[in-house]
Amino acid sequence: MNARLCFSSFVLVGLLSTVSAQQAPKHIDLSDANLRVVESTVIPIPLEIFASLDKLGTQDWAKQVKAREIKLDANRSRTAMLFGLVVSDGFIAVQAQDKEAVRRVGREVLRLSTSLGVVDSVEQHANAIVSAAGVGNWSVCRKELDKTRQTVLKKMSEIRDEELVGLVSLGGWLGGTEALAAVLKQNYSVEGSDLLNQPDLVKELRKEFDSLPARSKRGKVFAQITRTLEHLESLMRTDARGVISEGKVIEISLSTNNLVAAIYES
Amino acid sequence: MRVDSRLARRSVMIALLVGAIYPALAQDSSEDRSSDLILPEVDEAKLIAQQTAMRQLVGEERYVLRESSWGGEIASGKVKLVQAQLFKRNDYRFWLAVPDRRAIVSLSIYDGRGEQVEAQIETGDSTNVSSLAISPEQTGVYYLRIALHGELALTQRWSLIYAYR
Repeated sequence: MNARLCFSSFVLVGLLSTVSAQQAPKHIDLSDANLRVVESTVIPIPLEIFASLDKLGTQDWAKQVKAREIKLDANRSRTAMLFGLVVSDGFIAVQAQDKEAVRRVGREVLRLSTSLGVVDSVEQHANAIVSAAGVGNWSVCRKELDKTRQTVLKKMSEIRDEELVGLVSLGGWLGGTEALAAVLKQNYSVEGSDLLNQPDLVKELRKEFDSLPARSKRGKVFAQITRTLEHLESLMRTDARGVISEGKVIEISLSTNNLVAAIYES
Repeated sequence: MRVDSRLARRSVMIALLVGAIYPALAQDSSEDRSSDLILPEVDEAKLIAQQTAMRQLVGEERYVLRESSWGGEIASGKVKLVQAQLFKRNDYRFWLAVPDRRAIVSLSIYDGRGEQVEAQIETGDSTNVSSLAISPEQTGVYYLRIALHGELALTQRWSLIYAYR
């Protein structure tokens, strides 16, 4: 296609005009059975949440960068959770602009994706993460981490590893939430704690986790996941003033930290 | 500076095109390599949404596009809801697209109680794409209402993408 013509058509698309939404009601009844809610849930990436927190002031993300040893075993469900956790570690390292940590994440992504049987699809992204980290190109690191995550989810769906898809997402969310709660615990503010107001998202994650067959939840740590998600669902709810108290933030930080440690150590 | 801006836009566009096609190419790598011809599958609705998003992804106040998206099929006259967790202080922009240019899509947003939330709605030069910008006043779950209008015989593949800043 002629590049100039192609580019011009994109510019045309850019000529947007503001109009009001067509026939949109002012209120919808969310309990209406006729309203079809799309089942798939898009989990926010940690950077999306960190972006909001950083608008309240500079945070010490470097403290949240951790170099945890990963011992792989035959439990693919645990490996899927670890994959999600490692990708979230990558996002935290990008936020902290820690080159060595991002490179380490790139290498771990390769190791874990090999174990999950999806390395062919992930390799180019992992290499791009390592290269971009080397020159401090953080926007490319961020983009490639998101692509890595999305590629693994898609590839797993294709190879009928649907059960593991939810666990990768859950691991990613858990890692980001652990870091967010730790930062808020160190530097509590009413405004910042608002970011932990995610009970409906936790509910969705729990529903998805509960629906997994027993064979995907073998091992002690999976019972702990059920308990922790139940606990978090009640903690991650604002009070009558619309606030998540400092005590709750500390509890969320402890619960997520314990669960992450259990996944790494199990 | 003008040349830089053009180059930046082209770079973003190439990246988006690769992103829309890549999943299908990745799928090909596990297929029988003896096949005569393997054509990459392109999610046309997603590509249209990404094309429209392009101008918001460059410049000083650019949005960061997420790789994740929602999608499915919708018939004319039907409505669907998409649940999204949004965070206060961030700006969000959503793009909804279907392939048929005769289609008319609309997009609106509601809070967790079902009340419509104020947002900037934009349509492009074609009615099969719509965009919505919102700066949520509260962190929480929101519902995007997707509707398809127009005299269309076939159901449409739809795609909803989003970006934040």
